[in-house]
Amino acid sequence: METQHDGGAAPPGQPTDRLSAVIAWIGRYLCILFIVSTAVSVYEIVMRYLFNSPTVWVHETTTTLTAICFAFGGAYCLATDKHIRVVLIYDHVGPRVRRWMDIVISLVGAGVCGLMAYASWGMAWKSLFTPSGAFRIETSGSAWNPPSPALLKPFLFLILVVMTLQFLLQMWRHIRRPPGDVHHGQPGAGVYEDA
Amino acid sequence: QGKGKTYELRFQSSDTSGALAFQIARDWAERVGKMSGGRIRIEMMPVGSVVEYSETLEAVGAGILQGHVTDSSYFTGKDPAFALIANPVGAWSDPNDMLNFFNYGGGREVYNQIVNPYGVQFIGASAAAVESIASRVPIDKVADLKGLKIRAPEGLVQSTFAAAGASPVNLPQSEVFTSLDKGVIEAADATTLATNDSMGLHDIAKHPLWPGFHSLPIVDISINKAIWDEMPEDLKTILTVSVNDLARDSVSRVAMMDKKVAAKLRARGDVTIHDWPLEERQKFRQIAQSQWAKFAERSPNAQKVYQALTAYLKDQGLL
Amino acid sequence: MLNLQDLGIGGGSLTMFALLLGLLVTGMPLAFVTILVALIFALGWFGPMVIPIVTTRIYSFITQYVFVSVPMFVLMASILDRSGIARDLFDAMKIIGGRVRGGVAVQTLVVSVILAAMSGIIGGEIVLLGLLALPQMLRLGYDRNMAIGVVCSGGALGTMIPPSIVLIIYGLSANVSIGDLFTASFVPGLLLASLYAAYVLIRVRLNPSLAPLPDEGDGMAAADRWSLMKGLIMPLLVVVFVLGSIYGGIASVTEASAIGVAGVILSTVLRGEFSWRMLWDSALQTLSTCGMIVWIGIGASALIGVYNLMGGIRFIEGLLLNVSDTPIVIVLLMMLILGVLGMFLDWVGIALLCIPIFAPIVVKLGYDPVWFGVLFSMNMQVSFLSPPFGPAAFYLKSVAPPGITLGIIFRSLVPFIGLQILALALVLAFPWIALWWKP
Ligand code: NA
Ligand code: NA
Repeated sequence: METQHDGGAAPPGQPTDRLSAVIAWIGRYLCILFIVSTAVSVYEIVMRYLFNSPTVWVHETTTTLTAICFAFGGAYCLATDKHIRVVLIYDHVGPRVRRWMDIVISLVGAGVCGLMAYASWGMAWKSLFTPSGAFRIETSGSAWNPPSPALLKPFLFLILVVMTLQFLLQMWRHIRRPPGDVHHGQPGAGVYEDA
Repeated sequence: QGKGKTYELRFQSSDTSGALAFQIARDWAERVGKMSGGRIRIEMMPVGSVVEYSETLEAVGAGILQGHVTDSSYFTGKDPAFALIANPVGAWSDPNDMLNFFNYGGGREVYNQIVNPYGVQFIGASAAAVESIASRVPIDKVADLKGLKIRAPEGLVQSTFAAAGASPVNLPQSEVFTSLDKGVIEAADATTLATNDSMGLHDIAKHPLWPGFHSLPIVDISINKAIWDEMPEDLKTILTVSVNDLARDSVSRVAMMDKKVAAKLRARGDVTIHDWPLEERQKFRQIAQSQWAKFAERSPNAQKVYQALTAYLKDQGLL
Repeated sequence: MLNLQDLGIGGGSLTMFALLLGLLVTGMPLAFVTILVALIFALGWFGPMVIPIVTTRIYSFITQYVFVSVPMFVLMASILDRSGIARDLFDAMKIIGGRVRGGVAVQTLVVSVILAAMSGIIGGEIVLLGLLALPQMLRLGYDRNMAIGVVCSGGALGTMIPPSIVLIIYGLSANVSIGDLFTASFVPGLLLASLYAAYVLIRVRLNPSLAPLPDEGDGMAAADRWSLMKGLIMPLLVVVFVLGSIYGGIASVTEASAIGVAGVILSTVLRGEFSWRMLWDSALQTLSTCGMIVWIGIGASALIGVYNLMGGIRFIEGLLLNVSDTPIVIVLLMMLILGVLGMFLDWVGIALLCIPIFAPIVVKLGYDPVWFGVLFSMNMQVSFLSPPFGPAAFYLKSVAPPGITLGIIFRSLVPFIGLQILALALVLAFPWIALWWKP
């Protein structure tokens, strides 16, 4: 942590702002859902094959649990800088150009996520209200009929809002970063990709 | 308002491009183009092209798509009324009973009351054939359904099979083939006899149930309401009348195809077609009808559908 | 405001691909590049009311039931990686195949064929091989580029060996028996695997430094050999569990991956290596890896929805119109279109765009649509590897050891893409490779 100062380079894979730190912390617990979905899948197989009584709830439960983790994974990888990038140009320019590229990339990222958050607002709203404005919970429509759409659509909206904020916080950090700071290693060293 | 205007409309079907139903829908789109002298141009796109099949109602309402050709059971989660109006299991023994309900029995009006708030206008209903069930084991009566591991889609169908003692398994269409092949499930409510056959289901499930008795889903042809409202009367009439022709075309071609495939299956020797006797069909229908009331309680719209449906069936002596 | 519709669909397609390529190299995270392009075209071509396509497709994408198997494969891989099972497995493999130069790479290909028989979702398979086989081959002194190529091309075989989601989607869209497609693709799948193996064996014979022979095996006592061989037992049992549950009708293909996870956990318990900490760490790695690979898919899915709405299907149709009267020229042109689209789009999108147009034409020309399905699937093998949008490379990158950049991965894949095109040409020239079983 020798170069850790305001706006400076954090070690790769570490959250660089408080929001991302919170996301990374939640991720440590949310990932347990993968183990839960494995366990209930095995339960379904045992019930169906050995006891000839398939459950009505396992398929939709596992799908919902993985969908939650997939959506959250987007914010988690943003918090821990794990999203894959092609660094053909980035890796060959000096610190000053890099700083500007980082600022623009985070700004564009915030724009992309902001637009998606805006678009998913309508989707989330419709999962909770009928077109006439009455409250109702959208369900899957199966025999079990869980409220998974009403859970996942607002959750996706929430994640997109969080990702917008994450990008904005990253942009702020890059703006405040000293222009000479060697971010993600020396040019040409390929360190960025190893993060 | 829309006089002299050309309408470029993108419709999404709930069928894959290889299905006969998709070809039929595409032929309809082409005929509408000719009938309107090119003033309506419909591009028919296969399932999943723009949005997933379960999202077309909102996409049409928002104007992303201009129309859809779909089985509206897929919207059951938005309103249980869709389940009841799109596939009232046990109500129709003949596609004409269903078409008459929509055209003359009040079905169209009730349905538009449900979809208009979504920004969608229901043009009319088409139908295919009562679907077949692909099965690895012989099923000849309601009692044979007990404990049967059967894949069934969402909506009333699944609930009815559960009420009949079967164990419905929730699998997506993409896993039907492999699961049936390996015996994870014993039977599948997939689609019509001919389409099941072209997927190769009868090579692995040699006891199809046909003619079907359980599922005759609506083929719902709807359009964005704002576009509909501004359309001149002649174009509206072309669309409405052409949907009646689509229904006739669809029912005939699907039935002919099913009969052809049934003859082929009978000739091949290793496949046994199971045709349920009338009394067993009646028993299954009674179980299904007990489910209607349950769905009717779930929303005000579902209640409206239930009343319109039972009124029509009583009027026609079908209940 | 700029109206992109003025470009026309041809110009629009070119602009879209150029934009993808240009934005990709800036260092912007990949997932957001594809979403950005989708948003630009949604806004610029249609206007703001069409933006919800993007989020609707994201919702539909993450709620697909078949994707439940992706985290399960990754979880399996993370646990195997954290326990000593992976190391023991490769040490044991070294004993069996050790005397042949390149033996472990060939064994990795055998493992990938077995994995391919367990699933059809290549994301999970490449991550699994990338976590297990790649570090082990590097540890044994194998050439890095060759090891990368083996892992990516081997992992992509998942869609050639049944069960295969690519063939199922083709069958449903082209109205062809899925069982026939499965039967027909099996030999071409093995042909691909054999070509990869032959390539490895020939290269290491010409240049022995690419794959050193292990020396410790020669003087090893029988007891040591046996203790190493025990490393094979647990992984083999897991394989038997998973394949047995699929082919014995116990579990669906997606569910079988849960059996795999349970089997691997049980193995660690039996070996005395199990701890809750290890399981938890594996789950966290699964979250991270799935976050990366699923969001790449999300972007690709959003893009295809917008492109279809722009009239992509009609555009592809137009490309084929009045080109030639010679049937084989039309088929070759189709292969070329699939190849070019494969550089930029995800296979689901390519299937949606092309199969509705290609399949009926192929039938009209008098060709067997089953054969064409195999060709389509082989073409998609190339698309997984070909830059700039090569999902196999991205999946491997998500778990590759430090120092392996995307540039290195893509360069390593070049010879393997060549082999895929060779295999494709063989099945094109000799249809009986796929159709030998037909009367
Ligand atoms: Na496979
Ligand atoms: Na590619």
